[in-house]
Amino acid sequence: MDPAALIPIPDAIPVAWGWLQFFLLLTFFLHIVLMNAMLGAAFIALVTHLRGNHASPYTAAVAGNLPFAVAFTVNFGVAPLLFVQVLYGQFIYVSSILMAVFWLSIIALLISAYALAYVYKYQYARLGNGRLAVAGLITLLLLIVAFLFASNLSLMQDPARWSRYFDRPQGVLLNLADPMLLPRYLHFMVSSVAVGGLAMALFFDRKHRKGDPSASPWVKQGCRWFAHATLLNVAVGLWFLVALPKGVLTVSTIAGLLLTASLAGGILLAAPAVVFGLAGRVIAATWCALGAIALMILARGLLRAALLAPWFSLSQLSVRASYSSFILFLFFLAAGLALIVWMVRFTLRSCAAREARP
Amino acid sequence: MNYPVWQLDAFGGGLWIVLIAVFHVYLSHFAVGGGLFLVLAERKAQRENDPAMLDYVRAHARFFLLLTMVAGSITGVGIWFIMSLLNPSATSILVHTFVFAWASEWVFFLIEIVALFLYYATFGRMESGRHQVLGWIYFGAAWMSLALINGVIGFMLTPGDWPKDASFWSGFFNPSFWPSLFFRTFLALIIAGLFGLTTAAWLKDARLRIVMIRFCARWLLLPFVFFVASAAWYRAALPAELQEMIFARMPSMRLYVNGFLLCSPVLVVAGLLLIFRLPVGLARALAIALLLIGQLYIGCFEFIREGGRRPYIIREVMYSTSILKRDTDRVRQEGVLSSAKWVRHREITDANRLAAGRELYNLLCLACHAVGGPMRDIKQLTAPFTPSGLDAMISGMEVFYPAMPPFAGTPEERAALALYVAQGLNGRSDPAPVALVEKKVGIPAFDPAASPFVLLAWSPQSMRSVAEVKGVLSLLPPGNSLRAQLIKRGETPEIVNQGVALSYRFAGDGGAGKPAISGEMTAEEDVFVADNIPLRPGVGQVADPYPTAIIEARDESDALLAETTVVAPVSAEIGCSGCHGGAGQGDRPGLYRETALHILRVHDRLSGTALLAEAQGGATVRCQSCHADALVKAQGDPARLNLSAAIHGFHANYLRGKGAEACGFCHPSSNTVVARCLRDIHAAVGMDCVNCHGAVEDHALGLLQQERRAGKGQAAALMAHLRPRSAGGLEEVAPRQPWINQPDCLHCHVDFQAPETDTVVNARTSDEQGLYRNRTDDSGRLFCAACHSGAHAVYPADNPSGAQLDVLQPLQYQGNRLPLGANRNCAVCHTVAMADEMHHANSLRAFRNE
Repeated sequence: MDPAALIPIPDAIPVAWGWLQFFLLLTFFLHIVLMNAMLGAAFIALVTHLRGNHASPYTAAVAGNLPFAVAFTVNFGVAPLLFVQVLYGQFIYVSSILMAVFWLSIIALLISAYALAYVYKYQYARLGNGRLAVAGLITLLLLIVAFLFASNLSLMQDPARWSRYFDRPQGVLLNLADPMLLPRYLHFMVSSVAVGGLAMALFFDRKHRKGDPSASPWVKQGCRWFAHATLLNVAVGLWFLVALPKGVLTVSTIAGLLLTASLAGGILLAAPAVVFGLAGRVIAATWCALGAIALMILARGLLRAALLAPWFSLSQLSVRASYSSFILFLFFLAAGLALIVWMVRFTLRSCAAREARP
Repeated sequence: MNYPVWQLDAFGGGLWIVLIAVFHVYLSHFAVGGGLFLVLAERKAQRENDPAMLDYVRAHARFFLLLTMVAGSITGVGIWFIMSLLNPSATSILVHTFVFAWASEWVFFLIEIVALFLYYATFGRMESGRHQVLGWIYFGAAWMSLALINGVIGFMLTPGDWPKDASFWSGFFNPSFWPSLFFRTFLALIIAGLFGLTTAAWLKDARLRIVMIRFCARWLLLPFVFFVASAAWYRAALPAELQEMIFARMPSMRLYVNGFLLCSPVLVVAGLLLIFRLPVGLARALAIALLLIGQLYIGCFEFIREGGRRPYIIREVMYSTSILKRDTDRVRQEGVLSSAKWVRHREITDANRLAAGRELYNLLCLACHAVGGPMRDIKQLTAPFTPSGLDAMISGMEVFYPAMPPFAGTPEERAALALYVAQGLNGRSDPAPVALVEKKVGIPAFDPAASPFVLLAWSPQSMRSVAEVKGVLSLLPPGNSLRAQLIKRGETPEIVNQGVALSYRFAGDGGAGKPAISGEMTAEEDVFVADNIPLRPGVGQVADPYPTAIIEARDESDALLAETTVVAPVSAEIGCSGCHGGAGQGDRPGLYRETALHILRVHDRLSGTALLAEAQGGATVRCQSCHADALVKAQGDPARLNLSAAIHGFHANYLRGKGAEACGFCHPSSNTVVARCLRDIHAAVGMDCVNCHGAVEDHALGLLQQERRAGKGQAAALMAHLRPRSAGGLEEVAPRQPWINQPDCLHCHVDFQAPETDTVVNARTSDEQGLYRNRTDDSGRLFCAACHSGAHAVYPADNPSGAQLDVLQPLQYQGNRLPLGANRNCAVCHTVAMADEMHHANSLRAFRNE
């Protein structure tokens, strides 16, 4: 069956697609950074437990903060999910339905992982050696969730494989035949380990600056995790590169040029990132990492456009203008961010004031 | 239409969204109301300078944080996931219209998360007044997120002007936005109290426990009045037809409306009870019970809101089938299987009919009906139907079940869908064509040269239907009629009506060992009459619709003057079982015990009666006790429709657009039954019921028109969906009384001449005397039917159960099958040829249709 005949007709968008794409990329970038930190922290905590260390300040720090990471990761995941539905709804709804059972199971997996994160936090002291099991389970659940997300995005960009639905309409399809799926998934997962290490380094670097003497070996450890994982990720990334369909990486079109350039930029930034990491220069490494991730996410978006190009381009979407609702959102966004900043400052001030008074 | 369908069976019908959404709304309303609860509880602790109370607030805040963050927020994502899985088309409309409302809501979620984390983490670490500021910010953000999603949810039920102007603001600030927002806000406060009760009841310190329980009781009671007021406001904001549908008509809504109404006083009473000092065990039990009741409470409300929106997913815009309202006509023309994208079987063939039926089911039914699961299980709902019956039901389902959308496909698709459900899922088939057994009857002798009398007999009805189940339902009691005229032969024949006694005797016994049915005929002016003969044919596998009687005319000395045979047609093969079930495998259509019980059940549900209970108490429900029926001379209840108007007016809505096969759904006129209504010359020339009686819509409209002009409101309601097929408009439909205003021979055979048309349009006999069966020839004495036989079986009639059965007297007296005296055979009565055309115009001639 001709895939083009299966692609649903998209609805009109309320503002020019550039705005939506901007917010999609921005919120997805924040989501990925948070997700990497969350999953990486859980993973590194697991490895720490596996190495027999059940009482390290690192795992205690992870236990204390993992629920916050989950909360913000989920929150920042909701936003790109919204924007991707507006821009690519006709693709992502289809892929979600084709793998409906797996897709829906994410809810149960996520609730379980989130609940376990609180168990890890509030029962940390009592768990003892049980911390390994809890950390392991959290990591496993999150790894599965991530795989299911990667599968959905893979299927979404692969209309040629959609007609498998007719043999199995019960929502149990995955896209395992996609040569890009596994390297894509592993690329994100190894990146999580890297960012997890970076988060560890940053956390203990802050403690170190505040005068905690025991913090600096942890900064070094975090940097090592980051550097080694990033090196590994270059290899995984090359696997992903090789798995790309022919003709996607081209410089003959503007889109291809942009894709190639952002990919190249992301890869190139890996070098100073690793160097800074190995040198223990946390802040510099962080900027390089964020830069690399940002460029990679841009590349990912361009890759999506390239993969869907035979059937669709965003400029085809018709616009039924409703800029007033967009202005409303921008107002709430600005006001909301300002309020959050004020709240944090207010809290810090109030706590300091309370500590000052006996 | 656009998207693939997630094929579910037992989990279909929306079960997933029920499970996820009902749970989520409870927690999310708690997340809103609970924010205010925390702030006010903390303020109370601060004012009363009560550190133990502050500890309670902190513990409750932790409970609150865990529950709303882990379960509340992720199930919210769950609703997103499931709505795009179950109805991506509608989700796409909502997302593309309200993306920035959702994006704004997301900003408030972010504020909520930060505020709640800061609030919880800083208990006791900052001055209480400042700490409460964080709590207020949390509550404000939570309430804003409620307000934003409230706009989208309300839009789905009352889209306001949006279908016309497609404006974000019209859609968001829709007619139910404000009442719904107030409703949900007060509900959130009540729910906050319920959850607060649960944590308060578990306090170990008795003093504090009582204080906090009372505090929570206030959260139950104080908002209640405002909550009820906003509920009334919410209801009033709904369009009138929606209010009527939800609160008056939909039987399935009654459970949830009653549940909601029942839970309300329960919560209030519990709240009042809690003010008293209860023993701790009782307080805890009550707290848990109330928590569960609260879940049921909001569940009932959400069911009412969601169910009341049916058949739409977005009212007036898109049906639950994902078909846009404005596309319905086009899809009906082109077909669902052609219009939808994700379809394998675009053409229906014999080989793929069931598979195409399943695809149609997925596209049109699965959104609301599970296959073997708890959500409106289609297998249970359609268990009584045969494939044809279900096809008819689907064609009119939206008329009496406004929660159903009008069927969106072609008639062929409808038939395939009905076949998939009735046969594929429930294993039911249409009854097979019946093999007729030939019946032969002995014909008494007649000597044209010597016999002194001609005894003519006929049945005024060509088929008397009997539909009764003793102790349950009586739709049509038995009661055949016979008429006879005894003619003394001669050049001027005489109609003998004195000094003779006519009697009838049916062959065979009267069933179940009773004596054969027989009796005396009553002499009226020129004719002998026998009425209310209780002939009762069998049902199920055996039926003889043509019991034959021997009529004897005897003089005063009991000498036999003349005898003849006549058939009194009677049938119990009424088609109720096609839709109302009750027939076993291989049974022919009929009114069985289960059929009758089902009919009463449906009647109770749709008309608000209590007939099933009456029947189960042992009484036989007689339709004619409420519905007047001239056939059995029942007065009924003058405020209600007469039986014919009610039964045709109702069922015609399911039989629209058909020809004579519509009649065959109920009346014995198809090849699946032994009896046949129409057996005469008209059938032989290719006419059917519709030629004289009109299509079922016209037939029903005529009856309803009469009742409507008599001022009966139900008639107008039944007429609303019927379009006349022959008359111009509704006002041109001629009113008629059943059994009295009928089509007549002379409407086509004008002045007894050859007909120029074969279709009667809107013409009826004006009164009972004008009916064929009551009319005579120009002499005023010889009944038309004496020579031509009863209507529907006029000579020459060809009975498929036996060639002789409907022409017994022509065979006896003329040796042919024609009307008495046809082909200038006046000698049958006059003994000689005649020159004057006396009986009626155009009678002295060669018979036209030999």
